[in-house]
Amino acid sequence: MTSTAISYDAKNRIVLANVIIFVIMRYVCRRFQGYIRIMPEAGLKNSLRRAALWAGLILVLLLIVFSIYGAFIGAESATRFFNSLPLSVYWIAFAILLISAIAIFKRLLCWRGLFLIHLGCIIIFSGGTIGSQAGFSLQDKLFKTDTIRAGQMIINEGATDRAVEMENGAIKMLPFGIKLADFRIDYYEPGQLIIRTTRGEGFKIPAKEGQKYELGADYGSVEIVRRFEYFKLAREGNKLVAIEDTGGGPNPAIELLLKKPDGSETTRYVFERFGGHVRPDDNLQFSYHRAVKDFISDVEVVKNNKVVIRKSIEVNKPLHYGGHLFYQQDYDHETERYSVLSVTSDKGLGIVFLGYILLCAGVFWHFWLRHIFGDREIED
Amino acid sequence: MAIKYTIQGLLIYVAMAEYLLAFVVMLSRRHKAGRDLFFTGFLLGCVVLAYRWLHVGHIPMQNLFEVFLCLGVLVYPISIFCRRVLRVGGVTADMLIGAIVLFPAGFFFSAEPQHLPPALQSWLFGPHVLVYMLSYILMAKAAVQAAIQLTGKNLEGNLLSPEDATYRMVCAGFPLLTLGLVLGSVWGQNAWGDWWGWDPKELWSLASWLVYVGYLHFRYMFGKRLARLNSTWAILGLVVIIITLLWVNLSKLFPGLHSYAM
Ligand code: HEM
Repeated sequence: MTSTAISYDAKNRIVLANVIIFVIMRYVCRRFQGYIRIMPEAGLKNSLRRAALWAGLILVLLLIVFSIYGAFIGAESATRFFNSLPLSVYWIAFAILLISAIAIFKRLLCWRGLFLIHLGCIIIFSGGTIGSQAGFSLQDKLFKTDTIRAGQMIINEGATDRAVEMENGAIKMLPFGIKLADFRIDYYEPGQLIIRTTRGEGFKIPAKEGQKYELGADYGSVEIVRRFEYFKLAREGNKLVAIEDTGGGPNPAIELLLKKPDGSETTRYVFERFGGHVRPDDNLQFSYHRAVKDFISDVEVVKNNKVVIRKSIEVNKPLHYGGHLFYQQDYDHETERYSVLSVTSDKGLGIVFLGYILLCAGVFWHFWLRHIFGDREIED
Repeated sequence: MAIKYTIQGLLIYVAMAEYLLAFVVMLSRRHKAGRDLFFTGFLLGCVVLAYRWLHVGHIPMQNLFEVFLCLGVLVYPISIFCRRVLRVGGVTADMLIGAIVLFPAGFFFSAEPQHLPPALQSWLFGPHVLVYMLSYILMAKAAVQAAIQLTGKNLEGNLLSPEDATYRMVCAGFPLLTLGLVLGSVWGQNAWGDWWGWDPKELWSLASWLVYVGYLHFRYMFGKRLARLNSTWAILGLVVIIITLLWVNLSKLFPGLHSYAM
């Protein structure tokens, strides 16, 4: 489904599982169709059905109320709320009801779409349970494992690291190392030069080299002479000159030539990371901004001193390896020397995505496609 | 308020005026003229959208200005499709819906173009938003039909009765609503490693989806016996959708809440 979050292996497994489930389902339908048809519609069964439908409706209504409540208390508290003990009871009740619904309503079993919808919900639910905090603690206890569910790695450029810091501050080790070969930031170019006058007027100018802009009769003009990525002042004889010095950290800047209306010229440097100080005789204030387009960590997975995988991790393009997903989360905003990767386990993820596929296939089949292509299936 | 003195803004105002005029003309029973006005308003909307697309260099669905602009354009083809293929009327109301969704694009939301931040650069971005917009329009049409049902009017000849039309619109919109939710979740997984984070925006979209789940089950349980309650569900669904869509803005009314921007 996604080209990045799940690997090709996982994708193939999902497709295969889909096919298998579909075949089994068709078999079950065909096999038990006759049986279900001749089963007498006993009164008891009907009242059971009615009770189940009412219970389903009430649980759905409750979940609406819970969701709205959760929206008001914010994500963090909502996460705690939905993982709390009373809610666990609710989830279990919901799951049991869904499963029994498939068992007692023949429509849910035999109508392809309806079956896929409700089965999809059950599968999403089980994937969610496996991937939840509670699911992890239980599995760790049962199988005596110590899985990394969600955490963070901070890796310096050139360094190899295995330590993952958990949400609770504990450190766990990966069975392999991640080397940060390189870290880069891409910006939308050109950036913007923003000029404010003492009178409160503002100009937004694309910071293109060689461009000249007129600011009006009172302020003269400004020309963008040069752009720097690694600005540094160096001494040349007894003069200070601006140079690009890749040896130091990045220091993006632009060089401006200001021409006042009286003809006098001055050179100014405007830095992206440091607001300039305003001199008393200044009637203009400058700042330089660029929007981040992407940030990229070139990483290598190192196992037994061998590089097994090389990958560029970007936002929206995680690395999937060894049961874990590595996401580009943040970086060192000052010197761009380290990258912050978030690490999550992929447990339950394939199951959830499988449920998504079933659910979507189900709703589109039931509400759209069966009217266009469908046989009428088994009418009640 | 962000009144736009640009050509783009002007075109939006004209399109909005045409939609409104079309609505009024329809009410005075000049159907041909009304439909023509609706169509020209749509064409103008297309021009603005195409211009916007070229101008910002990505699908114009990033911020609320662009989303509402898209909604204002999508109303027309959906309206025609529903009438011709699904036999659901309400074209007059669609003109009003068009004007209503263009209103915030014209007057409230800033049209300042923005660069796509890294999190929004995903192949899921376009499909996720598009699918949601289509479903929202269908659900808005469902709510209109539900309102007509509640007022007890019965409309035009060969079209479905308002109760049936409500159901049909929900049936058309529900798969898209489901897909939107699922794509959003897959995207969340891709962008920040969590397919479900109990975030306010997620919870509101879950709530709106569940209202329609409730509607479908309720209608299965009672059929048309409780038609007025069926319609109430459908209207409630739209109310929750509107809150979902505007929550980022609405949440400012509740200090202390944090939610991510669209
Ligand atoms: C999140 C959970 C659920 C979802 C998303 C869901 C979704 C749906 C949908 C979309 C339909 C089709 C309705 C229609 O065609 O009008 C349906 C039908 C049905 N659902 Fe569910 N459902 C859920 C939970 C339940 C539960 C808990 C029950 C338990 C009683 C249940 C029982 C039924 C029955 C009996 C039908 C048959 C409707 C028909 O044949 O048209 N559902 N469900």
